[in-house]
Amino acid sequence: MSHEIFMPALSSTMTEGKIVEWLKNPGDKVERGESVLVVESDKADMDVESFQDGYLAAVLMPAGSTAPVGETIGLIVENEDEIASVQEQNKGNQPEASTSDQLELVSNKTEEKPVVQTENIKKEAEEVVLKSEKPVPSFNVDQINAATSNVSSRIIASPRAKKLASQMGVDLAKVHGSGPHGRIQADDILKANGQPVSIPWIGEGGSPASIPGANLGVESKPETSGNSFGNPGETVQFNTLQKAVNKNMESSLDVPCFRVGYSINTDKLDNFYKKVKQNGVTMTALLVKAVAKTLKKHPQVNSSFSENGISYPENINIAVAVAMEDGGLITPVLKEPCNTDLFELSREWKDLVKRSRSKQLEPDEYSTGTFTLSNLGMFGVDRFDAILPPGTGAILAIASSKPTVVANSDGSISVKKIMQVNLTADHRVIYGADGASFLKDLANLIENEPETLVS
Amino acid sequence: MDNRTAIIKQPDNISSFNDVYKLQKEYQEALILDNSNPDFIWIGEHQLCYTLGRGSNYDNLLFSLNDDKYDVFKIDRGGEVTCHMPGQLVTYLVLDLKNFNKDLNWYLRKIEEIIIKILGAFNIDCHSRKGFTGVWIGNKKIASIGIGCKRWITINGFSINIDCELENFNKIVPCGIENCLMANMIDYNKNLNIQEVKRIVKKTIEEEFNFDFISK
Repeated sequence: MSHEIFMPALSSTMTEGKIVEWLKNPGDKVERGESVLVVESDKADMDVESFQDGYLAAVLMPAGSTAPVGETIGLIVENEDEIASVQEQNKGNQPEASTSDQLELVSNKTEEKPVVQTENIKKEAEEVVLKSEKPVPSFNVDQINAATSNVSSRIIASPRAKKLASQMGVDLAKVHGSGPHGRIQADDILKANGQPVSIPWIGEGGSPASIPGANLGVESKPETSGNSFGNPGETVQFNTLQKAVNKNMESSLDVPCFRVGYSINTDKLDNFYKKVKQNGVTMTALLVKAVAKTLKKHPQVNSSFSENGISYPENINIAVAVAMEDGGLITPVLKEPCNTDLFELSREWKDLVKRSRSKQLEPDEYSTGTFTLSNLGMFGVDRFDAILPPGTGAILAIASSKPTVVANSDGSISVKKIMQVNLTADHRVIYGADGASFLKDLANLIENEPETLVS
Repeated sequence: MDNRTAIIKQPDNISSFNDVYKLQKEYQEALILDNSNPDFIWIGEHQLCYTLGRGSNYDNLLFSLNDDKYDVFKIDRGGEVTCHMPGQLVTYLVLDLKNFNKDLNWYLRKIEEIIIKILGAFNIDCHSRKGFTGVWIGNKKIASIGIGCKRWITINGFSINIDCELENFNKIVPCGIENCLMANMIDYNKNLNIQEVKRIVKKTIEEEFNFDFISK
C-alpha cells in the first residue's frame, strides 16, 4: 500500500511551492513524523513530514522544482519489498504487469485529474528512476556543520543543472563544473550529454550587434530537442504567465495595426558599444536609450488609443520583452530612460532581468511601459514583426545586425553591419508617416551619433 | 486570545551561533513533542558568522568555503545567505503557529510589521517591499528575515543592524540581491544604543503576540 506526499500549503495565498531539498532518498526508511523534504515559500522553509512509518519509494518532483499545492510529489510505502514494485510501476514501462494496489493508485488520480496528468506523473517518475540509479549526491544539512569541513567531497550544481541532470540521466559526479568554485551549470550538463549549448533565452548579453557571425550557431545547428515545455504526445496546461500573455495577444486582434520597417547601419553603434561594454553597458540599454530619445521628438509614437481619444502619457517608459525559461514572457520596464545615464540604465536593466527570472518584479515594474521593444537579434533572425501589447500604441521588433553588401550613394560598394527594425503600430493613433519619421530619426541617431546615448 | 507563556532569554554577552541554534532546536523539539511547552524567544548578538538557508545559492558567498577565516553555517531556514556580527541584534522566535495562524506568509508579514514598529519607536521611517522580505529604509536593507518551520513550530527569526560593521556584508550577496545596500539604525538616530533597542524588541514582541514572558 503506498501513500502520497502532497505539496503542502504554507500559507492561504500560496498556490505553488518550491522543493528545496529531499532529506531522504528513494529507498530510505522513514519514521512517522520524520522530515522527508523541505518546501520553501518566500523566506520561510517548512519541513514536510511523513505521516506513517515506511520507506520513501519515489520522488516524483526533484529538488529545485515547483509544484502546485496538493500535487503528489512523492510516494511512501509501508513495506520495503513494495519499493521496487512502486518504482517499477512509476516507470510507466509495463503498466499491465503492475500489482492491483498500484493500479488503484493511478486510477485514484484519474478520477480527479485529467488523464494527461497521469501521463505526466509516469514521465516524471521515469526521471526519478533514472535519478535513483545514478543518485544525485545531496548534502547532509540535518546537522549544523561549519560548511568548511566537507567541501572537497561535495558537488555543487545549480537547481536547473540538477533538474536537467535528472531529466537526462547525467551523473553529476562526472560533470566538470564551469561556474564559480566548480559549480555545475545547466550548460555543463548539456555539454556532458553531448548536446549543443542553447543560446540564452533572455534577450540580454548577446546583442544584435555584438554577435560574431561565426558564433551564430542557430543557423547551422538545430536547436536542442529539449526546447519545449512538454513531451511528445502531451498537452501541458498553460501556466499563469502564459495565460496572461494569451489574453494580451488575443486583445491585439481588435487593434488595426500596420507595420513599417527600416534597415539601420550599426557600424558606429557597434564601435561605441565595444568602448562602453567594459563599463557594464548592455546593448539593451543602448537600444532603449536610442528609442527613448527618439520618442521624445515623436510623442505621437508614444501615444495610445483610449475611448476618450489619443492618450499621451506623461512619461516615456520602455518595456522590453523577456522570454521566461518556463514559458510565457514578461516586459520589465525601464522608466524615463531619457533621465537616466547609460550606465545606471544598464544596471537597472540587469537588476530587472535578474528579478524577472526569479519572478520578483512589482506590478509597476512590468506594466507601466508606454512603448515596447522586442529583440530577437541574439538568435540571428533577419526580421520579424511583433504583436502590439494592449494599452500601448507601438512596439519595435529588432532583428540581428549582419554584415551586408551595401551600394553607397556614390556608386561604390561596401560591407556594412545592417540591422532591420520593424515597427508595429495602432493606426487609430499612429499613422504611417509618424512611424516612418520616427524610424528615420532613430536610424540617424544610431548611425551617426551613438556617443550621445551616454547621457 | 489568552496570553501564552514564553521563555525569554536575552544575554548581554556575545553568544556562539552554534550554541543558540542548538538551544532553539531543543525548544522546537520540545514543542513538537508536547504543545503545552512554552514558546521561546532569544534576543542577542553573535560573533561574525555567515549562515545559509537550505535552498541558498553558494554563488552568493563571495569567498571560498575552504577559507578558514569565516564561520559558515547551513541551517534550516528559508532565504539566501546572510551575516551576523556584534552590533547586529538577532531575535529568534520558536513559536507554535497553531496558536496564532497556520500561515507562513502571515507570519513573515507579521515580523515585518513588528520590525517597522520597533524602528518607529526610534523615529526611524522604514517599510517592507513586496517580493523582498525584510525591512528597508529607502533602498537600503535594515533588517533581514529567515524562518524555518516544522509542524508549524517556527525556528530562526530576524536580525536588525544597529551599529555593526556593514563591510562584512561585502563578502556575500546579502539575501541573493545583487548590489543590495545595507544600513545601520545608528545612522538614522544617533541617540540609540543596542540595549535600548533590545528592550523595545522585547516589548513589541510581547504585545504583538500577547505573551507573558518568563525570563531565563
